[in-house]
Amino acid sequence: MGRTGNRRAAFVLLLLAGVLVAACVAGAAFGAVPVSAADVFGAVKGALGGAVLTPSQALVMDLRLPRVVLAALVGACLAAAGVLYQALFRNALADPYILGVSSGAGLGAALAFAAGGTGAAALWAPPLAAFAGALATILLVAALATRRGVMETLSLLLAGVAVSYTLAAMTSFVLVVRHEQMSRIVFWMMGGLQGATWQQVWIVGGMLVVGLAVPLVYARELNIMLLGDERAGELGVNVERVKRIILAAASLVVSAAVSVSGLIGFVGLMTPHAARIVLGPDHRLLLPASVISGAIVMVLADLVARVALAPVELPVGIITALAGGPVFVWLLIRSNRGATL
Amino acid sequence: MSAGLRYEAASVGYDAPVVSDATFEVRPGEIVGLIGSNGAGKTTLVRAVTGGARIFGGSIGVAGRAVGGYSRLELARLVAVLPQTSPSSFAFTAKQFVEMGRHAHVSRFGDLGPLDHAAVDRALALTDTGSLAHRRVDELSGGDLQRLTLAQALAQEPSVLLLDEPTSHLDLNHRLQVLDVVRSLADAGLAVLAVFHDLDMAARYSDRLVVVSGGGVHTQGSPEQVLTRETLAAVFGVAAVIGRDPVTGTVQVLPVLRSEGAGVAPRGVRVHVVSGSGTGAAIMRRLVLDGFEVSAGALSPDDTDGAVAGALGLHMRDIAPFAAMTAEDEGATHALAAVADVVVAVATPYGPENLGNLRAVAGRAASTVLVGEMTPEMDFSRGEATELWDALSDAGARTCADPRALVRCIEEVLAS
Repeated sequence: MGRTGNRRAAFVLLLLAGVLVAACVAGAAFGAVPVSAADVFGAVKGALGGAVLTPSQALVMDLRLPRVVLAALVGACLAAAGVLYQALFRNALADPYILGVSSGAGLGAALAFAAGGTGAAALWAPPLAAFAGALATILLVAALATRRGVMETLSLLLAGVAVSYTLAAMTSFVLVVRHEQMSRIVFWMMGGLQGATWQQVWIVGGMLVVGLAVPLVYARELNIMLLGDERAGELGVNVERVKRIILAAASLVVSAAVSVSGLIGFVGLMTPHAARIVLGPDHRLLLPASVISGAIVMVLADLVARVALAPVELPVGIITALAGGPVFVWLLIRSNRGATL
Repeated sequence: MSAGLRYEAASVGYDAPVVSDATFEVRPGEIVGLIGSNGAGKTTLVRAVTGGARIFGGSIGVAGRAVGGYSRLELARLVAVLPQTSPSSFAFTAKQFVEMGRHAHVSRFGDLGPLDHAAVDRALALTDTGSLAHRRVDELSGGDLQRLTLAQALAQEPSVLLLDEPTSHLDLNHRLQVLDVVRSLADAGLAVLAVFHDLDMAARYSDRLVVVSGGGVHTQGSPEQVLTRETLAAVFGVAAVIGRDPVTGTVQVLPVLRSEGAGVAPRGVRVHVVSGSGTGAAIMRRLVLDGFEVSAGALSPDDTDGAVAGALGLHMRDIAPFAAMTAEDEGATHALAAVADVVVAVATPYGPENLGNLRAVAGRAASTVLVGEMTPEMDFSRGEATELWDALSDAGARTCADPRALVRCIEEVLAS
């Protein structure tokens, strides 16, 4: 990246991190019972120090903060997956929702919910089943979209949509069969972060760390693979191995997000794309910057979902879809004129 | 074992072999050109080195070891490729693009070090692309992109360089520049295998040529050995004059016509052409394309008309370069003209060496077409040529002022 490039990257990432912290504080402060920013910091400090919390501090620590942090992690996961899929398929329109991966993870998680269970099984089964569903889906969609070794944009999108519908139908079938779990599953599927717990934060956070650290190590390969598989191979990249690793990492972070927050669209599409326009295509900066941006977007979207029609709470998926749908159409039009990745 | 690149009875292809049993070597310090018609498998041979095509049998070795025995990274430190096609949309800067060539030299967790930056700067300088370093790749022309792709390949600091039509997007100046760079790198010890479409460029820059045709290696050797009339006819289906580049002295190929190019039904009419110094070349070609059976002579092979007549495979009386016609030559030429239905005599300098050609067709004015005008400056025979020419004209030979109307003139002569 060069020394000036490194300095610019550090500046951008610090700036984004600052915005994220501010968004989180705002997310924890606003709500049915407003809390001051000072109280938010006090709650964190008190909890870390093991002090007895005031009622408003307890509200922040037990209800607001787990939800805000989980929102940030979910946004980060979706954006990371978006960057990785877009790089892998060399397609600015790829994102976990459009490729059907979210639906695949959703079906896996729904099956886990439907199976019930308690304790550790209830905690771990949804993300693991979601991971299996996500991985199987992306492999299926990629295989369907490939003709004689070439993956066309249109066939990729069509395969994603077709697979997505099929998986959604299967998820609905699960709902009907296990109707006693229906309200819980439906609520989760619409994309909401109600009832977030610190346990979920640790699980999703752990999956994000793994699913982010691995691709960061391969950032240079991701850049080179934008030149095409054959050229990347000539330059020394083991393309097939990198693809497998990146697909697994992307599916891991998608399933982490889907297992706690259901199907949330467009965050994985919009944030990497906006970041690419502003920051350029270098994955060493693009990946971390998109991840932090995705976190910011989700925290703010969840805040809007909570306060827009208070006391009624909207599923956060509605907010991201409302904002993201038009962006997708604009991207589609732009890509027909030859968009740059 | 050789440090260069070696194909040993290699069969390469995709679903099935395209080229079989290819054996040739590219040694350090030499450029080997791959030539052959479209679809013959030149590119397939090149791509097989880096895994872009499959090796079905035999082996391809780099630095004495089969390419399959190297990891991707190891191979990228030894072999660099300048591919045929280039990306069109890619938002990195030219410098970042060239830096990607260093991937195989940089450790997984490291960044480019001083050695890497030096290699990148050298590659930019060699290809004269330093001024583009901070431009975005997707804003550059096809030619600039190709030179940058060469810079990317050179940044790999390979010992073997594979070029697939290295100059296809380049203008004349940059074409020479790129090939001169490659030539100097080869002189410094690089082994270069290059696919060429342009045979003159192949002859000019290659130490040896390998001709790929009919699913295998047809011939190989120096450009002089390989670029012959026979090879060009067999491999490309083209009748060609093999000459010398007047500047570099390398072999030059001048295509005359496609072997199946005549295409028209034979007319069953035989025409004898009297010409020299290139005045008859276009006429002979035109007549062959129009379905006439053509004879010519007597001509020497160093005469343009003689070379073209040879390439066209005409009935011809050959004479030695710079030699005058003997009585025997004149007799043989007379015999050629005698069996022709029509004689075409072209105005050209006539002297003692070739006056026999005009004498051989004297006295048959009724079936002769004269092309051009015999001027005193053309007559090096003290008026004898002019006399012969005027005699034909006075006796009723048809004069065809415009060579483009020659076929009509011949038809009129035949009709009368």
